[in-house]
Amino acid sequence: MVWVNAIVQGILLGGLYALFACGLSLMFGVMRVVNLAHGDLAVLAAYLALAVITGLHVPVLWSALVVAPLFGVVGYAVQRFVIQRSLDVSPLTTLLVTFGLSIVIQNVLLEGVSANSRSLPTGWLASASFQVNSQLSIAYESVIVFSVAVVVLSSLQLFLSRARLGRQVRAAADDLEAASIVGVNVRHVYGIAAAIAFATVALAGVAFGMYSSFDPAAGPQRLIFAFEAVVIGGVGSLWGTLLGGMILGVAQVLGAQVDSSFGVLAGHLVFLVLLALRPNGLIPARLA
Amino acid sequence: MTELENRLYREITRRTLLKAAGASALSLSAAALLDACDIRGTSNANTGKITIGYVSPQTGEAAGFATGDNYVINGIRGASAYKSGFKAGGKGYDVEIIVKDSQSNPTRAAAVTQELINSGADIVLCASTPEVTNPVATLCEASGVPCVATIVPWEAWYFGRGAKPGDAFKFTTMFFFGLHEFAGCFFPMWAKMNTNKVVAEMYPNDPDGAAFRTNFIPLVKAAGYTSIDGGAYADGTTDYSSMINTFKNKNAQLYSNVPLPPDFNTFWKQAAQQGFKPKLATVAKVLLFPADTTALGDLVINIATDCWWSPYHPYTSTLTGQTAKQLADGFEQSTGQQWLSSLGSVHSLFEIAHEALTNVDNPHDKTAVAGKLKTLSYTGISGPLDWTKGPMPGIAIQQPVGVQWRKGSKYPYSMVVVDNSLNKDVPTNGDLQPTNA
Repeated sequence: MVWVNAIVQGILLGGLYALFACGLSLMFGVMRVVNLAHGDLAVLAAYLALAVITGLHVPVLWSALVVAPLFGVVGYAVQRFVIQRSLDVSPLTTLLVTFGLSIVIQNVLLEGVSANSRSLPTGWLASASFQVNSQLSIAYESVIVFSVAVVVLSSLQLFLSRARLGRQVRAAADDLEAASIVGVNVRHVYGIAAAIAFATVALAGVAFGMYSSFDPAAGPQRLIFAFEAVVIGGVGSLWGTLLGGMILGVAQVLGAQVDSSFGVLAGHLVFLVLLALRPNGLIPARLA
Repeated sequence: MTELENRLYREITRRTLLKAAGASALSLSAAALLDACDIRGTSNANTGKITIGYVSPQTGEAAGFATGDNYVINGIRGASAYKSGFKAGGKGYDVEIIVKDSQSNPTRAAAVTQELINSGADIVLCASTPEVTNPVATLCEASGVPCVATIVPWEAWYFGRGAKPGDAFKFTTMFFFGLHEFAGCFFPMWAKMNTNKVVAEMYPNDPDGAAFRTNFIPLVKAAGYTSIDGGAYADGTTDYSSMINTFKNKNAQLYSNVPLPPDFNTFWKQAAQQGFKPKLATVAKVLLFPADTTALGDLVINIATDCWWSPYHPYTSTLTGQTAKQLADGFEQSTGQQWLSSLGSVHSLFEIAHEALTNVDNPHDKTAVAGKLKTLSYTGISGPLDWTKGPMPGIAIQQPVGVQWRKGSKYPYSMVVVDNSLNKDVPTNGDLQPTNA
């Protein structure tokens, strides 16, 4: 039964990782931008959500509805005015720019809201769970985060494969020049992709803020798990990202079940093994 | 505005204040000059100058420790002993305090200490976490500059710098407490609860966790408790279900830890969700300060921890004559923030500097000052501190009391003293209550 519990908790944890990884996967898949500020953006979103919750007196789940669209707009602007400019110079410049963005966000937060750690108040939800038996209880919070991750990733997948704009995003991802020739406004499409990526990272930030506590320096530590989920699943593939997140989560929890000191390490090992055996990821088809 | 919003607002103003502090440091020295002009006519002219350096993590992840630094140091600068200068060996000395920020980074801590030494510091004071105290002390020891540290378990400060039992550092000293005091503080609280004497222990794979694993667990076992080690998990672990299951299966009714704050937050929420509800949780390293409590919300109620200084401590400053309560009240009134234990410790650092530098013939004689520090015994706002009776040379021990977090009236949560086994000077102001009834 302890193993069943470990697998269930691992899958649910995978939802959080996948939500985190989704934006990273999208930005790399479409624009070839490795966004090093990804984790810091999530932390920023969590602080914004806290401000919304205390300012408007709304529950935490509603705050996500404010923060995610707001981040979408910010994402579009950042892509058009900051990242696009560096993309025009060279792909390496984008690394420097997003790294700089990461440092700026951390220090602005430190100045503005102090180093004190915060958490999004979830009230009764924080300790509520569905008790299956004495060995297995499933926290509502984890279920909510997991469901949000599944809904977000599947609707994004649908959007990319069915919607007109989604097809343009795929076209721009596959062949930039051909897409421009047939009349796709590539810069606008890139902006849309960044907007979606930022909106999902905002959701991840809110989920993370419920799950644990955050402070201005908490971002980079979360980035590594997101990277691993993306690589395990296959870069640019959203289903792959969900699968990658779940595999990483299950590996960590199962590892910890064997020995506590083995938890995080087991995740890294699975990542390394898959990187060696399937360098393109488990579902390599990009955005298809 | 809600309480949270209030707090957030206060945080922001505090930051602005901190920023302003940089500017005010300049204006302060100008003011000090003016003051000096006023005094000079009436009192004796000070012929020398003493420089005191102070290093603490004012920004970065450990910044919570240094929340009260500005207030305390402004108070010290205004204290008559510091304002009119020290007298030593029949001579008067102006006193300059230079404050440096370690940014919670050991490399940075060493760099700013070097700056202090280069600018002629006669003594370097430092506070909060081994990441500050150890690089600062190491550099001071190497450069032959007297140093006093606090808010660091003495084992981390002593063994962490490669000392073997009995070794004596020549220039560096400290006051705080260690694992024996944690045990002396927690065990009486455990004994008061009616439990099966099974203790869940959550110690991470880092220096603090290792210190607890190798030194605290034997104490736990020797006291007749069954120890359930949750395993050396990595800092930053996101899921604790396996550890929680182990604790549940062994029916652990007591809980002890020394985690990073965000990890405790994650663990404690998951423990509540998955039904691990120890009768008493005694935590170390986390929930020391009010700011830590809000992130956990009501789950913080009746968690017990150690407290080495509070307004309830019946001690008085040797510099300002303030009682502990007056210092804490003054801090709350001037900043709008809740008192925290580091106020007393930082204040005491400057008491100690005053004691040592004024009781030698020449305060610039670094060997004499260091010698004085190592044999000092005095009673100030942190209570009696005696460097002749420490567990190792250069160390004075404070005796912490057991406290629990409860719903507060003025602030969301406040500390209540529930056990004074180690320090009877401090009256209890509440009964020990189970963390989970």
